[in-house]
Amino acid sequence: MAATEQPIVLPGDAIDPSLIPTHKKQPLRLGPGLRHIPPSYIVPTVAGQLVTDQKKNSMWIEYNSTRYIPSANDLVIGQVQRSATDLYYVNLSPYTSNAMLPHLAFEGATKKTRPQLAAGALVYARVTLANRHMDAELECVSATTGKAEGLGPLVGGMAFDVSLGLARRLLMARSREAGGVEVLELLGAEGLAFETAVGRNGRVWVSSDSAKTIVLVGRALRETDEGDLGVEKQRKLVKKLIRGMR
Amino acid sequence: MAISTEPEAALSVLPRADGSAKYSHAGYTVTASVNGPIEAQRRDEHAYEAVVDVIVRPAAGAGGTRERHLESILQSSLSQIILIKNFPRSLIQIVLQIESTPENDYVNTKLVQASLNFPIIPALLQTAVLALLSAAVPMRATATASVVAVVPEGQTKRMVVDPSPRDLDIAKSVHVLAFTSHDELLLAESEGDFTVKEWDDVYETAQRICCRPATTAETDMAIDDEAAGPDMRHFLRSTMETKIAADLHWK
Repeated sequence: MAATEQPIVLPGDAIDPSLIPTHKKQPLRLGPGLRHIPPSYIVPTVAGQLVTDQKKNSMWIEYNSTRYIPSANDLVIGQVQRSATDLYYVNLSPYTSNAMLPHLAFEGATKKTRPQLAAGALVYARVTLANRHMDAELECVSATTGKAEGLGPLVGGMAFDVSLGLARRLLMARSREAGGVEVLELLGAEGLAFETAVGRNGRVWVSSDSAKTIVLVGRALRETDEGDLGVEKQRKLVKKLIRGMR
Repeated sequence: MAISTEPEAALSVLPRADGSAKYSHAGYTVTASVNGPIEAQRRDEHAYEAVVDVIVRPAAGAGGTRERHLESILQSSLSQIILIKNFPRSLIQIVLQIESTPENDYVNTKLVQASLNFPIIPALLQTAVLALLSAAVPMRATATASVVAVVPEGQTKRMVVDPSPRDLDIAKSVHVLAFTSHDELLLAESEGDFTVKEWDDVYETAQRICCRPATTAETDMAIDDEAAGPDMRHFLRSTMETKIAADLHWK
């Protein structure tokens, strides 16, 4: 295989040492899909494209999947299953063990004033602890500032399931240029008023005053995901959906 | 009877499963779905590693002892390549549905329940590996498998790769071998009478099919001799490359 800039790798493939970034000061950071076998082997564990960032001295595997595996600092949308004495059990993906969200991990929460969440409620949360031997832990408040910073219960609206790859692209700072998803901006430009929250666990929450808009935005996202639509096709899809709504 | 010897595969064919694959080769067609890592049942869960659950469903009827035997063979092989230590207390479920098996043109085929079914193992293993890759389950390596029969021909014996049902009827012995992408032997099951020399020849033949180095796959394709058989590793890679390119179309 020719040593291209970003080769496609399979689990267990040897990585060309010339592709591993070197930096004088920063330690090398390994992202998803790679494992380090001491002393000096770096081996992919999933099939995908090897991406390296010289500036940040990091490397990871870019791939798409549907099963979310919690990792610290991810923003996720969870569904409350039940409440225990001092925490909520929150589901992040189907058929996996629940994550734990303490009652006091909300903005301004005290023992007396804490959000009352019923079973089925959605929360936008950050993963604080992800360890293979323990259930994941979540928080809806920044531990440093004590502010919610956009996290917390999601009231109204509806959650749609998408692939983890699309969720990641939607969460990119420049999702249109870097991620190739423009569908939400296009729908907004067509005059629809809605708000969204994207969870790294493959859930997108859409809220709007009109139920029609929620369904339309959700459908646009699902079709973009399932059809692997490019920016041009997303434009066509939005036009078609808007025409159908009017 | 024209059974294509070139393997064919489609990935992510089942929209609801975490990963899935449909694979056909030498008359066998198998569809696999993979779900995981998910929560294991209390009585199954292991404190330090994931439980790999393999379920084989026959093309017709309910599974029996034969399927349980195939499941146990596949389960032990797949546990070796999946990074089960990464997901303690969880379950990785692999369901393999056999869709079609080659028919014997010479003998009136009836399902013989008691006999072993070695020739299907490569198809099952290959489908499972493809489905695991499609589900992005972390793995140590990939695997390729092959079946070789030793068929008598007059006084001599001849190696037949991917034998037809006719070859299997007259074969002295049948061997299934699987290798990881690190050229390690993953699985070796044999049936029938054979000598050590024969087994060594079988091993070499299977290794040639399963472990052809990736670098020569493209360049040497033309000069490969006919008897070499399909190049499983190259097939696996090209299938995955197509899938990944489709997944990352936005890049």
